[in-house]
Amino acid sequence: MSRIKDLQKNLFGGTTSNARQFGMIFTLVAIVLLFQIWTDGLTLTSGNLIAVAAQYSYILILAIGMLMVIVAGHIDLSVGSIAAFTGIVVAKAMQEFAIPWPPAIVLGLVVGALIGAWQGFWVAYVGVPAFIVTLAGMLLFRGGNQYIGNADTVPVPTGFRQIGAGFLPEVGPNTGYNNLTLLLGLAACVGVVWREWKARRTRREMNADAAPMWISALRLAVMVGVIVFATLRFAGGRVGTSLPISGIILIALVLAYSFYTRNTVGGRHIYAVGGNARAAELSGVKLKRVNFMVMLNMSVLAALAGMIFVARSAASGPQDGLNWELDAIAAVFIGGAAVSGGLGTISGSIVGGLVMALLNNGLQLEGVGIDKVQMIKGLVLLLAVALDVYNKKQGRFSIIGSLLRQFRRDGPASPPSDPGSATTPDKARVAG
Amino acid sequence: MTDAPVLLEMRSITKTFPGVTALADVNLVVRAGEIHAICGENGAGKSTLMKVLSGVHPHGTYSGGILYQGEEVRFGGIRASEQAGIVIIHQELALVPGMSITENIFLGNEPRRRGAIDWKAAQRRALELMELVGLQEDPDTLIKDIGVGKQQLVEIAKAFAKDVKLLILDEPTAALNEADSRHLLDLLRGFRDRGITSIIISHKLNEIAAVADFITILRDGRTIESLDVRADGVNEDRIVRGMVGRELSSRFPEHTPHIGEVFFEVRDWTVRHPISADRLVCKGSGFTVRRGEIVGFAGLMGAGRTELAMSLFGRSYGVHLSGQVFKDGKEIQLRSVAEAIRHGLAYVSEDRKAIGLNLLDDVKTSMVAAKPSKISTYGVIDPVLEHRVAEEYRESLRIKTPSVDEGVTKLSGGNQQKVVLAKWMFTDPDLLILDEPTRGIDVGAKYEIYGIIQKLADQGKGVIVISSELPELIGLCDRIYTVFEGTITGDVPRRDADPELLMKQMTSTKKTPTP
Amino acid sequence: MRKFLTRSIAAAGAVAMLALSAACASERQGTTATGGETAASPAKGFPADSFIGVALPSKTSENWVLAGDLFTNELTTAGFKPDVQYAGASATVSDQQAQISAMVTKGAKVIVIGATDAAQLSTQVAQAKQSGAVVIAYDRLITNTPDVDYYIAFDNFKVGQLQGQALLDGMKAKKPKGPWTVELFSGSPDDNNSGVFFNGAMDVLKPLIDKGDVVVGSGQQEVKQTAIQGWKAEGAQQRMDSLLTSTYNGGKTLDGVLSPNDTLARAIITSVKGAGKPIPVVTGQDSEVESVKSIMAGEQYSTINKDTRKLVAETVKMVKALQTGGKPEINDTDSYDNGTKVVPAYLLPPVIVTKTNAAEAYANDPKLAPLTK
Repeated sequence: MSRIKDLQKNLFGGTTSNARQFGMIFTLVAIVLLFQIWTDGLTLTSGNLIAVAAQYSYILILAIGMLMVIVAGHIDLSVGSIAAFTGIVVAKAMQEFAIPWPPAIVLGLVVGALIGAWQGFWVAYVGVPAFIVTLAGMLLFRGGNQYIGNADTVPVPTGFRQIGAGFLPEVGPNTGYNNLTLLLGLAACVGVVWREWKARRTRREMNADAAPMWISALRLAVMVGVIVFATLRFAGGRVGTSLPISGIILIALVLAYSFYTRNTVGGRHIYAVGGNARAAELSGVKLKRVNFMVMLNMSVLAALAGMIFVARSAASGPQDGLNWELDAIAAVFIGGAAVSGGLGTISGSIVGGLVMALLNNGLQLEGVGIDKVQMIKGLVLLLAVALDVYNKKQGRFSIIGSLLRQFRRDGPASPPSDPGSATTPDKARVAG
Repeated sequence: MTDAPVLLEMRSITKTFPGVTALADVNLVVRAGEIHAICGENGAGKSTLMKVLSGVHPHGTYSGGILYQGEEVRFGGIRASEQAGIVIIHQELALVPGMSITENIFLGNEPRRRGAIDWKAAQRRALELMELVGLQEDPDTLIKDIGVGKQQLVEIAKAFAKDVKLLILDEPTAALNEADSRHLLDLLRGFRDRGITSIIISHKLNEIAAVADFITILRDGRTIESLDVRADGVNEDRIVRGMVGRELSSRFPEHTPHIGEVFFEVRDWTVRHPISADRLVCKGSGFTVRRGEIVGFAGLMGAGRTELAMSLFGRSYGVHLSGQVFKDGKEIQLRSVAEAIRHGLAYVSEDRKAIGLNLLDDVKTSMVAAKPSKISTYGVIDPVLEHRVAEEYRESLRIKTPSVDEGVTKLSGGNQQKVVLAKWMFTDPDLLILDEPTRGIDVGAKYEIYGIIQKLADQGKGVIVISSELPELIGLCDRIYTVFEGTITGDVPRRDADPELLMKQMTSTKKTPTP
Repeated sequence: MRKFLTRSIAAAGAVAMLALSAACASERQGTTATGGETAASPAKGFPADSFIGVALPSKTSENWVLAGDLFTNELTTAGFKPDVQYAGASATVSDQQAQISAMVTKGAKVIVIGATDAAQLSTQVAQAKQSGAVVIAYDRLITNTPDVDYYIAFDNFKVGQLQGQALLDGMKAKKPKGPWTVELFSGSPDDNNSGVFFNGAMDVLKPLIDKGDVVVGSGQQEVKQTAIQGWKAEGAQQRMDSLLTSTYNGGKTLDGVLSPNDTLARAIITSVKGAGKPIPVVTGQDSEVESVKSIMAGEQYSTINKDTRKLVAETVKMVKALQTGGKPEINDTDSYDNGTKVVPAYLLPPVIVTKTNAAEAYANDPKLAPLTK
């Protein structure tokens, strides 16, 4: 096999999961560079990266839960309202009953879980379509927010603001950087190297030929390079800033949920239910329980996102969470999930969410008005998915597909040159 | 009768699908004013022939000619054939449940007056048509509020609203109870007396023998014979011989069974239809399976075999289940699929694509889907183990795929079926229920799958094979149960199994004593 | 293979080094040079072609649209680089937060904020402050933060008082003797000004209500009861509809309605007309075109002329003062406590406008003057 072919196989639509990891970072870098040029270098300044991370972490947290909901074949329109409802409950609890902030966060998560159990009950056990249940929830909890908060803005104490507006403390010697962020970056580098090494070992154990060494090395170098770059940027902001706390929460959630959806039986069941509910049921998957847990989980994440937003805004207001559901859903579909369920990945959704976030940010840096930003975002969503559907139908090489194939769980794994990829898939896919 | 003018003549019709010849040189002659029955096994080509006639397969996609009322016709679609007065009533009724009887009768054919629908005229005409088919109901009643038998009559009334000359009924009594069936057959006789021609496709040979004037038998896409019922003195046995009269070639691997003790027994299994709970789908069925034994379930479509199997498999079908299941002498409960799997049951469904596989999955994921606990610790999947397991099955079942990471849609039907078999073998079952395990699979793959089934039996497992192909059951099974309308009508050991006996038991409620 | 390995590792190393060197320019040093200390030091001034951010709420009223255009023009004329942003109509708060962050990133020296939700911007304002920008709260006071430098607005308590007085005058003109039956409306509860308007009006009305000369028909006279979320016209119309049904269905006549602004006033009038009742005396504020027309037609009774031109001009004056390192003009240093500190403010006097003085009041307004002819 020639080296070019090796590269193509391993970087674009290769069958190894490592290639998917690499492709994800590749896509991100491409988008970042695009905006870096457009905004004359403003995009990649420390200040902007930190602001973007803090600003969009809650939408990306929602995208994680929404991905699982959509993979299971449902939709959740109520996340914004649940976020607002939880926010006001937590803010009021701290204001009126002087509850300290750590138990208040627990309270918020419990409220999210209760709401999730309520919605999950209707979806899974009564069989009301999630669209309807969550449309009802959207009204119910938006009204609940205004009822409890009297349509007023309720401030939250300083301690609580940390989860949304906080940064890592400055400790240790003066290196010119935030030392804790540097440590996190180092840990990430070690993690990436360890992962690559373990993946190679796994491939060997499977008696499958691992990618050539030079590919591994190249991939590692690029990944480590990106991590080092990001670390220095996040650590090198104004004194007192670092990788935001909300960004750390997001990263922890992404890692945990990626592992869950990829590597556990529970995660597989979600894909099985979304891919073919009847077949999953006949394979012993507890359909109702999966649906229930997916809806419950979404609401808990929505509650968390709501609290982070309230913490960042320093107050819970009646307009919190407006239209968040749409941002989260858009992120998931741009990230390659299928409307009919069964396909999509956490990392893909995060990339989708970042595309939207950087688009927003870049256009705002350019001074483009919010009206035009919305129009552009709408068109990007439509075009990203439409171009892909079109290419799929034509059986031609799909650009987004090739970029996002890596993030798609077990997506069609044939290289673009494979004539077999021209076969029409049985399920209508929206993006891919 | 024979001197009546010929209404329809189909001459040497040949219709091929990619890779399959569905109809080869088929001839059909229908005379005006007769009831003409078309008989044949599943897949013999009956439905395809009717689709050619009604224009579903338009002119140009088949070879041969159709003469209708003495003229050559070339239908480009259903509308064209309906305009000529040929109307098909399908097994699945094409009625809108939320609309009234009148609205349904005139759906797409509404009487108009100055652009608007003339509901008064429609009502009047509907009452006439309803009287014609013997339906006594308020024409404003919604379709969903009347029984399936009456719905069938509405379909026929709808056909008459279109000025029908040739009425084709596909399995008209499959979903009907005996009283409704009798009424329908009487109605057909009434039409014959008025000079209306009908073609009836049915598996219920007793009904055909009773009502038909002529019978055309199809087998493997060919016309076998055309019988004049009255002249030739045709009875059910005669029809059966025509339908199955082929030799059983050696399409099965050599096998010496090693049959042990009875380990699985079902008693008084009763299941009701999930929607109309007054319909019994299984009526007190009971059967046994021995270790190492391959047990066949023979029956016609709609006999209730799949329903029996799925209701056993963790109540996946039906409501108000009752009966007892014993395994190794102890009564067991099978309340959910997970419980059934735990008790060592496995069910390979007849519809691989709709309910057997997640088509978005790859080969290895599909194989472990029914028992992921075997390759995981604390819920975390071990990818190395998963891969190894999948590779083992790929080799042992000789699954043709470039890699176990390949998507299942890329595989041929036979290889997909092997993946499904692997999925259930992976659960270490004691009893495998295989529903139509070779449907849509070519001969070579069939042979391999028979070999796998025999090997499983030799490992001491019990295997139940549900099949609509009698030769397959006779060639493969150690014992065959026949099922008719939810009742087990026979228990035939291999040495006595012959198609005619089986077909007879499959088509009548009379329990024939086993010789 | 071995050759591949070494070669590729070398290539990989090069890529990593490249990334490293790109990232090496830490902004810690860079930001201090442009004023990275926590305290803003306006005394130093800044270049005359600096970047000035203006973040306004969504375009729900004509005034904001006008203000935006004026800011763009006047700041450009003054030599600055303005960036005027409106929040989206749907997700106002988070949009505005993102916009302010973007302005900080772009290095704005002064950020003028017309807040969508005055209590939810403290993180962004702090960010702005720390980057060295001066924060001016425009028209709406930003609360719960020590990082607001100035507040510029019309005297809103005065606005309320004028509205209350106009309501009384209008009712007296129609029906010389009381008691008069009225209904009260107030603005969005998340807008700091709503309460100020309402309290100003109640400063005038309350004594009469206590005496019984003015009767609130529905009895709803708390701010919470009278508030219209988001200053939405449909909200006011809905509330008026239900008041008419619940309280004025019998023979009871409604003499006057206290409305905090023109958009709500017109919605209230629409509702009354829809119910087929005579139009009561309705107050307003903002001098919106439609309302001026309505006043001239004798429907709405009064509005307030808060000349946006003047307010923007004063704001630009403030920016210019900051640019030269001078101190901007302040005329109130103790009224506006935002919960954390007392914000120094510059207040402009509002003018009440009725049909009688409209021509005079709008004489200098190119858009409104023709309407009063």
